[in-house]
Amino acid sequence: MAHPMIRVRGLTKRYQRGGETLTVLDQLNLEMEEGRFYALMGPSGSGKTTLLNLIGGLDSPDEGELIVAGEDLADLSGADLAHWRSTNVGFVFQGFNLIPVLTARENVELPLKLTPLSRAQRRAQAETALKLVGLGDRMDHRPRQLSGGQEQRVAIARAIATDPKVILADEPTGDLDRKSAEQVLELLQRLNREFKKTILMVTHDPHAAERAQSIVHLDKGQLGRIEHNQAPVAAK
Amino acid sequence: MAPFVLVWRNLLRHPLRSVLTVLCVAIAVFLICFLRTMVTTLNAGVDAADNRRLAVMSRNGLFAALPLKYQAAIESIDGVELTTKFQWFGGYYRSQKNFFAQFAVDPETMFAMYPECKAPAEQIEAFRRNRTSCVIGSELVKEFGWKIGDTVPIIGSLNPHPEDKAWEFQVAGIYHSDVPNFDNRTLFLHWEYFEETLKAGGNPPGVGVFSIKIERDADAARVIADVEAAFEDSEQRVDCSTEAEFQRQFVTMFGNVPKFLGWIGSGVVVVILLACINTMLMALRDQAAEIGVLKSLGFTDMSMFMLLVAQSVLLCLLGGALGLGIAAGAEAPISEFMVKMFPGFAIHNDTFLLAGAAALAIGLIAGAAPAWRARNMPCVEAFRGTD
Ligand SMILES: Nc1ncnc2c1ncn2[C@@H]1O[C@H](COP(=O)(O)OP(=O)(O)OP(=O)(O)O)[C@@H](O)[C@H]1O
Ligand SMILES: [Mg+2]
Repeated sequence: MAHPMIRVRGLTKRYQRGGETLTVLDQLNLEMEEGRFYALMGPSGSGKTTLLNLIGGLDSPDEGELIVAGEDLADLSGADLAHWRSTNVGFVFQGFNLIPVLTARENVELPLKLTPLSRAQRRAQAETALKLVGLGDRMDHRPRQLSGGQEQRVAIARAIATDPKVILADEPTGDLDRKSAEQVLELLQRLNREFKKTILMVTHDPHAAERAQSIVHLDKGQLGRIEHNQAPVAAK
Repeated sequence: MAPFVLVWRNLLRHPLRSVLTVLCVAIAVFLICFLRTMVTTLNAGVDAADNRRLAVMSRNGLFAALPLKYQAAIESIDGVELTTKFQWFGGYYRSQKNFFAQFAVDPETMFAMYPECKAPAEQIEAFRRNRTSCVIGSELVKEFGWKIGDTVPIIGSLNPHPEDKAWEFQVAGIYHSDVPNFDNRTLFLHWEYFEETLKAGGNPPGVGVFSIKIERDADAARVIADVEAAFEDSEQRVDCSTEAEFQRQFVTMFGNVPKFLGWIGSGVVVVILLACINTMLMALRDQAAEIGVLKSLGFTDMSMFMLLVAQSVLLCLLGGALGLGIAAGAEAPISEFMVKMFPGFAIHNDTFLLAGAAALAIGLIAGAAPAWRARNMPCVEAFRGTD
């Protein structure tokens, strides 16, 4: 493997629930190559979201090593971790999670407020990102004025606004109809192909997983087989 | 850096809730201004009192009269520079409802004793020369439309005219005072006319209060002791006190009113604080998921703290500004309305400052608890919202 963008060693995550200890992730080992598109599949409750949150530095593991984009996450905390997140990872959620009181453009500009860019540069960059996801004509719409598919594309624009290396997407098509889902998947594929983003996408949908180059299976906190997809379904 | 665009947008998210909170704080700030000014107005008399002036009254109470001859005895005491006498006239104009004070005074000494009671010299002179004349306060001019030269009939309920008719006084002058403990709603009538008329009816008047001005270097405590000692064995013993003490007794006549007003004020602040905390907890619940998203984007815990505190402070400062505006706008009408009970109602600058500071404090405190929770909320939990 050339250059792992994400390197997971002995990763363990436990939750305490009513006196019982639940081991959600158990001694996980995994390496993900830079510039590759991964799908993460597994039954509900298998720990997919938990793994994604750990990789994105939103949560911390009980044991194990996590190196993402060249940084050992154990070395970071508080404001440093927040700063690392703002420059290295972009999140896309199932529920879109846009800020309802901000317009599409303002939502995309949000993460750019943490960069030294000027107001005008931020605006320009947000507009570029929105045009890239095909929403150049919806920049001043509030989330409520957009369709679900459009909302998710705004969320993707927000995730790539700071040009992070890694995109973590948790069931990005879970709430979308077939056609919108296709658009979102094509967009993710494009980001991977044209902009060399490393993408980890959780999905329940085998059709969606076919877009990825590799499919990682997770079950009961254990890693299953990794399928390599020689000919991912191509974007039209 | 908190995304401050969100501060304003979030307040507009529930406009009614924000407006109601702003109004709550505005009312609290207005009430603080109002209640505190009642207290400062009551105390103003004490603060403005002249320490060189003493008041002498009967020990038998406010309504017992002292013999006229006491004046000469008081004047002979070492350190006394000037004396003047007052007697409560106790009458009314047309109807009992038109209440205002009337005092019989000695025009020769009254204006010298009370330089704060200002009237043109020629009017004072006219009052001095015309024994059936009077000098009236500027507020009475506003209330009854009297002017110089008018004849004012006063029914003497305490001191009826011997001929069973209204007393009549010609307005010789109009006075105005700018100090709070000398009101502008009094009618001063001429002592000589008062005394003569009552004497003719067989009821010579006594003196309610003698005012004393002591010499610049005289020791007030010593003069007080001498005055009280001088009448120790006379038919009426006297109480002598400084004007400040006299005013203080007047304030205590209101009992615990200042304290009571203080309690009401604090109660209002606490209630409004609770209302604001409630508003901010609702705001936190609305925004919990977004706070998680912002954190995932790389905003720090501290900036999320600031985001909530800023919303709370902005709401309360808007309310504070509105409350101060209302207080400043209402000051003149309230002062007008309360001129009878609380002459000199004027909001001090430090009262405005205190009320503004209270608004800021409410904002900081109400925002702190939800802000602290926003700061400590783990991202992953924030997505699920709080309840
Ligand atoms: N904060 C928490 N406290 C206790 N248990 C938790 C917590 N978060 C997750 N879990 C548990 O950990 C397990 C894995 O959760 P996770 O959300 O990672 O599953 P998932 O694979 O994403 O499932 P789904 O496909 O339904 O989204 C579940 O059993 C869940 O109940
Ligand atoms: Mg999940």
